Amino acid sequence: MKMWVVFSISPRLRHIGHLDLMRSMQRALRRSNLPISYSQGFNPHILLSLAAPLSVGMSGENEVMEVPLSAPIAEEDFQTQLQSALPQGIRVSQCLLKQDDVPAPMAALSAAQYVFSFSDDAQALLDKVPEFLAREEVPAVRKGKKGEVRFNLRPLVYNLLVKDGVLHAALALSEKGTAKPDILVKALSEMAGVPAPHYIATRTRLLDSAFAPLENR
Amino acid sequence: MRRIEKLLDEVEKPARYLGGEMNTLERQAQEGDLRFAFCFPDTYEVAMSHLGMKILYDILNNHPRTLCERVMMPWIDMLEGLRREEIPLFSLENRTPLRDFDVVGFTLQYEMSFTNILEMLDLGGIQVKSADRAEDAPIVVAGGPCAFNPEPLAPFIDAFMLGDGETVILEVCDIIRTLREQGAAREEILYALALIPGVYVPRFYTAAYHEDGRLASFVPNREGVPAAVTKRIELDLENAPYPEKFPVPYTQVVHDRIVLEIMRGCTRGCRFCQAGMLYRPVRERSPEKLFALAEKLVENTGYEELSLSSLSSGDYSCLSDVTKGLMERFQQKRVGLSLPSMRLDSLVKQSLENTAQVKKSGLTLAPEAGTQRLRDVINKGVTQEDLVRAVTDAFQSGWSAVKLYFMMGLPTETDEDLLGIAELAKTVIDCYFSVPKAQRAPGLRVTISTATFVPKAFTPFQWAAQDTLEEIRRKQQLLREALRIKGVTFNWHDGELSLLEACVARGDRRMGEVIYAAWQKGCKLDSWNEHFKFDKWMEAFADCGLDPAFYASRHREYSELLPWAFIDMGVTQKYLQLESERALRGETTPDCREDCTGCGLRRFEGVCAQ
Repeated sequence: MKMWVVFSISPRLRHIGHLDLMRSMQRALRRSNLPISYSQGFNPHILLSLAAPLSVGMSGENEVMEVPLSAPIAEEDFQTQLQSALPQGIRVSQCLLKQDDVPAPMAALSAAQYVFSFSDDAQALLDKVPEFLAREEVPAVRKGKKGEVRFNLRPLVYNLLVKDGVLHAALALSEKGTAKPDILVKALSEMAGVPAPHYIATRTRLLDSAFAPLENR
Repeated sequence: MRRIEKLLDEVEKPARYLGGEMNTLERQAQEGDLRFAFCFPDTYEVAMSHLGMKILYDILNNHPRTLCERVMMPWIDMLEGLRREEIPLFSLENRTPLRDFDVVGFTLQYEMSFTNILEMLDLGGIQVKSADRAEDAPIVVAGGPCAFNPEPLAPFIDAFMLGDGETVILEVCDIIRTLREQGAAREEILYALALIPGVYVPRFYTAAYHEDGRLASFVPNREGVPAAVTKRIELDLENAPYPEKFPVPYTQVVHDRIVLEIMRGCTRGCRFCQAGMLYRPVRERSPEKLFALAEKLVENTGYEELSLSSLSSGDYSCLSDVTKGLMERFQQKRVGLSLPSMRLDSLVKQSLENTAQVKKSGLTLAPEAGTQRLRDVINKGVTQEDLVRAVTDAFQSGWSAVKLYFMMGLPTETDEDLLGIAELAKTVIDCYFSVPKAQRAPGLRVTISTATFVPKAFTPFQWAAQDTLEEIRRKQQLLREALRIKGVTFNWHDGELSLLEACVARGDRRMGEVIYAAWQKGCKLDSWNEHFKFDKWMEAFADCGLDPAFYASRHREYSELLPWAFIDMGVTQKYLQLESERALRGETTPDCREDCTGCGLRRFEGVCAQ
């Protein structure tokens, strides 16, 4: 069996890098005395995998981590024990037992929901949302291994919604294609002809190909 | 808050400034709390590797009416951002501006971090000079090994704490809390602090100088203030407070592991070593105590590595019991054990075998000097046979990387001593090839590192001249050529930083003006190569009418009044002179565990009882 842990990272800790988060989770699991598994080899480490790296600067609300178990344990016990071993800024909302044949979270990941909170006035940019959605093509540039790659951002943006000055977005996040939050903000800013405003983004939910929460699989 | 968030999005390594790590303070200040800012004048990665901060952070936050938060030196991009956005330097825990604390305490680990103290005070909205501080400004205190020559920082620090900090830091906090509640004037608070044993308040002492620049007199200027300040000693290390939990950083720091202090002090008496003199007497923690602490720390931190810490771990009387006991306890939990600060002549082999079970890293040894003659001068009581045995053991046990540390510019050093370093390197290579090929690990690597010798206060070499820059450079060149040997890497540092370190380490009160001038010219983060501005420092000396050679490369007579002589640090000046004379005669002094050598610590009740 394996455990899927659904957790949040507070805005205060949004600058922790992916590898730092991995290490922090490993240490938390060590503190928790939970029945975890170690890798083989010369420098054994705790086995765990995160559904998708969270960019530095972004907080997360329903992140998913998979932890292979070395012995059976109840979901509630796992949650209580892990929570007490975590710092204040990391909260576990759910623990879900999965059979070993359930694919890893990252295999089923297809999209994610984000919320953008802008520090400066971003009305001009938000006004461009209907136009963005009406278009069939929005050219954008991302950095690839061989320099800059031009691509069409539009099909990777599944939905945009403005509510109370806050931008909600559902963006592709999979091996087949990813729309990064900063590229979306840049594209909207360019359409509005304004410099990209400062914002803090939160990844609120990870989704599978049916747009259902990843952890419900 | 939003401005801080915006800034964090712009700087390199923002995780340095987050706070909120596991096992850090999670409460806000309440009415009646004494708010203490524990300041480390270097970056987060260095600060979070320091044991003393963990001990004192724990002590202060275990006190019901004290609240301690951490503040570190920001990196250059962050400090420029703070200035641009007019955000005061803030604490990690509650993002409290430095100026809002009651006490701002700096730990002094390294002379070349002193400009960072000025920068942090200024960034935090506190007047840099003690004399300029307003009535309600925080009381700025400092402690740590560099506080033993406090004079270069006298213009900036309100009160210094000398010696072990565990008890005195709470006494200082209690006085400040009580007197602040009574509405006492700043001057009266400082006067009360000056009466605490081990506390030095510079404003109550006056220094006068001879025409040639030497110190002429140093006397109290207020009645009741002691003429001599005696360092504090935690006699009962076994029962002294030690944290059962360490903050666990998110980002990787220099020493990211559990540190278990097994022993404080060292009895070897290496004559160049300031720590060896400052931290006397030797005190040990029992294996039982260490096992109990280790259990708690492993449980509370989740660290995968535990390191034993002391000045000379091989001298700890129960070392093999402790390493064996820890291995047995933690093998299941996959906690690795590391053992730094081992001397060549101690029982390295068994410890190597114990530590190797979990992880095999490079072996680092410090012969310090290239010939037996010079090792006798510095009283580093190791022989070539010790080195040969230690590295052969290591090669036989599967090590193939050896690092050897040396000092360059030691008193009485000749070119022959330097060339002896190259001879030792060749000996190490011979030892490797003397191990049968099937038994040894492939890929021999020998790294030779040299540091420039810096004479320090309260050592037998406190009167000695440092080599001039020209001489250091000539010696480095000589050694570079001698060390062009296959398989050997030679590392050295430019002597400029060591020259300044020597100036500050034995500086008087006037050196404070040089530090101030250098800081005003933009010097900060001096120990970071890319930010070190030697020419600005030289300008600062010139502006203050002082000569670096006066402080660094001048031989002092025994009769000279030294700027730190008013401190009684345990080891007497008389003993240091005796050791200096022995050094010049090439005579060694045995480990004082064998027989008391009369260093002066016995004057204190309960010291060196065994």
